[in-house]
Amino acid sequence: MRPRVSTVLRHRIGAVSVTFLVLVALLAVFGPLLAPYDPLQQNQDALLQGPSAQHLLGTDNLGRDELSRLLAGSRLSLLAALEAVVVGLVLGTVPGLLSVYLGRAFEWTTLRVMDAFVTLPFLVFAVAMTALLGNGLTQAMLAVGILVSPAFYRVTRAAAFPVAGSQYVEAARLTGASAWFVLRRHVWPKVLPAVAVTTATTLGSSLVIVSSLTFLGIGIRPPEPTWGGMLATSLEYLFPRPTAPLAPALLVILTVGACNGLADTLRDVTGVSARSSRKEKVRAAA
Amino acid sequence: MSRLIRLAAALAVLVVTLAGCAGANAGASSQTLKWGFNLPTSWDPVTSSTGNDINTISLVYASLTQLDEKGTAGPGLAESWTYNADGTAVTFVLRPGLTFTDGTPLDADAVRQSLLRGKTQENSLLKDQLATISDVTADDPTHVTLHLAAPDYQVPNLLAGKTGAIVSPAAFTKDPGAIPTAPVGAGPFKFESFVPESKATLVKNPDYWDAGDVEIERLELTAGTDPTSVIAAVQSGALDVATITGRQVEQAKAAGLEVDVVDSFTVNQVDVHSGLAPLTDRRVVDALKYAVDRQAILDVTNGGIGNVTYQPFPQGYVAYNKALDQAYAYDPAKAKAMLAAAGYAPGSLSLTVTVNSVAQSTAELVQQQLQAVGVNATIKVVPPGSSTWQQEVYLGRKAQFALDGTVGRESPVQNLGVVYGPQGLMNTSKEASPEFLAALDEVRRTPLDDPRYPEVLQNAVKLGVEMSPSFSLGTSPRIAVRNPRVSPLPHFLSQYRWEGVTVAAPGSRA
Repeated sequence: MRPRVSTVLRHRIGAVSVTFLVLVALLAVFGPLLAPYDPLQQNQDALLQGPSAQHLLGTDNLGRDELSRLLAGSRLSLLAALEAVVVGLVLGTVPGLLSVYLGRAFEWTTLRVMDAFVTLPFLVFAVAMTALLGNGLTQAMLAVGILVSPAFYRVTRAAAFPVAGSQYVEAARLTGASAWFVLRRHVWPKVLPAVAVTTATTLGSSLVIVSSLTFLGIGIRPPEPTWGGMLATSLEYLFPRPTAPLAPALLVILTVGACNGLADTLRDVTGVSARSSRKEKVRAAA
Repeated sequence: MSRLIRLAAALAVLVVTLAGCAGANAGASSQTLKWGFNLPTSWDPVTSSTGNDINTISLVYASLTQLDEKGTAGPGLAESWTYNADGTAVTFVLRPGLTFTDGTPLDADAVRQSLLRGKTQENSLLKDQLATISDVTADDPTHVTLHLAAPDYQVPNLLAGKTGAIVSPAAFTKDPGAIPTAPVGAGPFKFESFVPESKATLVKNPDYWDAGDVEIERLELTAGTDPTSVIAAVQSGALDVATITGRQVEQAKAAGLEVDVVDSFTVNQVDVHSGLAPLTDRRVVDALKYAVDRQAILDVTNGGIGNVTYQPFPQGYVAYNKALDQAYAYDPAKAKAMLAAAGYAPGSLSLTVTVNSVAQSTAELVQQQLQAVGVNATIKVVPPGSSTWQQEVYLGRKAQFALDGTVGRESPVQNLGVVYGPQGLMNTSKEASPEFLAALDEVRRTPLDDPRYPEVLQNAVKLGVEMSPSFSLGTSPRIAVRNPRVSPLPHFLSQYRWEGVTVAAPGSRA
């Protein structure tokens, strides 16, 4: 079953998750316009101030308005997470589909490459990539995208495998349908629900990775605000500003929770099974 | 009745005995100090790769000389030294009866072997520092002579740190590969155990030449304490002493802990590469020196602790030149005018500020200050790692304007060489004027006890500061938080030292 927005919204968790994610997306698009102050403007007369009417979330160690930085940071944090998802989606889904059709050599090679990716730790690989290609979030998330691609590869392959060998696909081929037609018309609709669920969960996990990297100072181009970067700075000033980490931390937690809630709902409404049959598993992993 | 009396007497004896035992235990544990600090990159002074390591390496090794509170070389393993007439050889007189912690004698031949290892071992990182020494001879068990390539009266300073730390020849002859993890020296403490990346345990060395001044019986060195939890660690007793930043002083005091702010050799500076446009124009470089508000940096990033300085030495040190007190005082109007004179209208000059990930706030502050004089600055954060900064700034020399700092060196000439010398690590331009080099040479040729020495040295500092495109920002004192049961730490410019430090029983104050 193809995922439809209306079906998702009928589920309570799905509705809450989608609503929250839309809000976050709106923040990412219009956040800088809503910001009460310039998020980069320093004010040495207002360092580390607590929440007040002037600064609803207080100010940071350089006197910048925390709310404005949080709003401005939404775009960068989400775009970086999206970058990882798109890279993983392309690098995982395309070879996953092709591995079913292009013969054993391609299948064996892509499986081994994906196995190799699975062994690499996200953060260490991302740090290594930034050291090699330059310290930027784009480089770091490219690395993360590469490492999340096996998830897309495996779900795509697992969903495509039984379809590729089905009788109606055989019939379509016998009637002269091209491989592209078969993929588009018969295989992709079966693969899409699983990919949608994986996309939602990967978006959440990518956001955690983005926040972790920016928390560590990797990929940040100061003074651009990010949620992870704000969290790291606020932890250095816990004594004068004990509540400062709450806003960026909550935003990360709730956004990741919304992604996971959406993934759960998609799984429920599309009937994607968390556990594929043993037979399919064995064939897909072979 | 007599049985009752005997029972009471026996109980009394038992109570007194137990009390005595408890007292003895309390006394032993009270002299255990738990210190939170970075473990050295190597416990071998020959392969240790950062200047900061002297703080921990000096726990297990003694050096030929030792810097006093003001940074002046004084007796260490050597009780005295004398130069020959032309300053090309210096003979150190060792204290009699010295031994390493492995029981072997620390005599002139051991000193000779240890210093020569630093000169010849393939992976030695002391080769450059020891280049001034051409040979070492043991004249008799207590007299060792260092033959120099040229007159150099800085050798007693040079040998006060890692360079002059003496390693047991018996240990490094047997297995040089073991020294980085199992050091054998003759320092105030004997190495007991070491867990890499975690902790090291040391016990007092009763044969140390100055053992009478060391009260601590056992020192546990713990690494990796998170800065955000370090104060809680001291408060809970997990640590007794740890290093904090100026921003944490208020929090430490509020937690009922003691704070020692100790002047140190560390000076923050900007490494300017004058070989990279637009910094090839000296007028631009000079304008930048006036554009940075050093006091604001200290106030915002270090809680106002530290002093603005325009030279790579702290006030009170012999090299500190008072004539430079206002050398490049913050003057944005002057900076703007200088940039305009160089042909740069506001907004037309762009440069990149390079910084490591822990000093990001400083970079953001400097970026805004440069913006105020019309310079568009982009910040480049170098990822954490032991070699990334070297590749970007020191060896790669890709940084135009790098926020850096020197932890200082035992010899002021050595420090000037690192900061301003033509091959100096922090001199990314790799240029130095003949006048500066001549002045530096004159310092080397001037005995430390010559009345002219301070003037000659300070002159070299002035020439270095005026010549160099790089510029100093401010001092960075060593800030230690300690449990009140630990007595105040002694103030040494060069490093942490523990002579005279006592640890009272838990719950009491030193």
